Amino acid sequence: MSLVAEAFMNQLAAAEPWPENAALYQQLKEDQILLSDNAASLAVQAFLQMCNLPVRVVCRANAEYMSPSGKVPFIHVGNQVVSELGPIVQFVKAKGHSLSDGLDEVQKAEMKAYMELVNNMLLTAELYLQWCDDVTVEEITHPRYGSPYPWPLNRILSYQKQWEIRRKMKAIGWAGKSLEQVLEDVDQCCQALSQRLGTQPYFFNKQPTELDALVFGHLFTILTTQLITDELSEKVKNYGNLTAFCRRIEQQYFEGHDKDGSAAASARSAKRSLLR
Amino acid sequence: GHGGGSRGREAYAKFSGAPLTVNTINNSWSTPKADVPVLISEDTVISQPAKILNFLRKQRYNADYELSAKQGADTLAYIALLEEKLLPALLHTFWVEAENYCSVTKPWFASRIPFPLSLYLPGKMSREALNRILLTRGGPPLYSLTEVEAQIYRDAKECLNLLSKRLGTSQFFFGNTPTTLDAFVFGFLAPVYKVCFPRVQLQEHLKQLTNLCRFCDDILTCYFKLTITDG
Repeated sequence: MSLVAEAFMNQLAAAEPWPENAALYQQLKEDQILLSDNAASLAVQAFLQMCNLPVRVVCRANAEYMSPSGKVPFIHVGNQVVSELGPIVQFVKAKGHSLSDGLDEVQKAEMKAYMELVNNMLLTAELYLQWCDDVTVEEITHPRYGSPYPWPLNRILSYQKQWEIRRKMKAIGWAGKSLEQVLEDVDQCCQALSQRLGTQPYFFNKQPTELDALVFGHLFTILTTQLITDELSEKVKNYGNLTAFCRRIEQQYFEGHDKDGSAAASARSAKRSLLR
Repeated sequence: GHGGGSRGREAYAKFSGAPLTVNTINNSWSTPKADVPVLISEDTVISQPAKILNFLRKQRYNADYELSAKQGADTLAYIALLEEKLLPALLHTFWVEAENYCSVTKPWFASRIPFPLSLYLPGKMSREALNRILLTRGGPPLYSLTEVEAQIYRDAKECLNLLSKRLGTSQFFFGNTPTTLDAFVFGFLAPVYKVCFPRVQLQEHLKQLTNLCRFCDDILTCYFKLTITDG
């Protein structure tokens, strides 16, 4: 959004405290939501949990269309609607909550760089798998994406989205990649995350930041989502400290929230258990 | 084109002393794509920065030998940052901004590739650049090209600020010897720093970050021993 609109929004945000009835919107959990959107939603949920800001998860088939940027998740707080992790972090900061205030300038730069790494490699790989791998597209994506809608709308929406994503993949040079190459990229990304994390509990040692939320969102979703093969989750499982990281955040921030709102809990029970 | 990519690879090669020729194009009808600069070493021809770097590593010309695992990971992260936040504005400055493209990029590029590619390729790269920008950064709530442009330049300036903070007072990003990351950053910054465009908002911002300018100047004088007057 423009600089003026952003400043205006920050002012509005700062004016009111976090309400009790804040809501996070995503697609339907069981039947509709895809890997990449689930990861994004979980990242935001983790972030809000880490900030100790209560939010309830609302599932709507048309969440994507309700979102101001066309991407999920989005949060509805007071009378404002904000979508995607980046803007949500800014919004929450304007209300006086931040996870990264304790970092120095160099650490903040590093944090932002690693967040871009996750977006640039992990998220793109997820999108590739969902929309460019023919087997996955036929057996998982198409059935799921349009599932709340009747035929032929379900097919039309799904093909439209596929076309849109494929155009984007082509523009950034991923259309020519093979699945093996994409999995290689995922491995490279996981290796970097694993090396950066080392033996620390969180990426910036004792306290989690938005980076931890983002990494958790993606890795946990990859680990617990059933796809055609296990290749993707195997790449993550190769790195013990990453699976331990996910377990730790799950236990710290999501266990004990047995209400319907927890995507992590139901993702876990519906698919595969992380704790083996 | 993608001054970032080729300059980065050239710099990397110079840092690690690998003997090779960096060509700007390999003169084939089937090449026109985003990653035009290619690396030719002996008989192998490869393109794409990551592949080239892997290739150089396998050949044991490795400027990153001294890096720790964490620093290697940092390299990947910062390269992602450059690609996501700086590249769109770079593409725009070179290939989309009309005055820049017409008066600098197109003539320079066309003069270095053979006829009849020179008639066709620059326009294609310009369209591809705009396409890439709109597909990756366009979309709601940004509805017009002007809004997208404003956003990508904001992101690019923030990226430059982050790089400046990360570099601090060090000579290179990981101490006293240059590594892959330095090559990449240099590859992205040098064209912005040195090319004389009519529209220069990014260059003006960069010039305020004196440590980044010093970084570029150091590399230019030490490793290239000349002043670059064009991309």
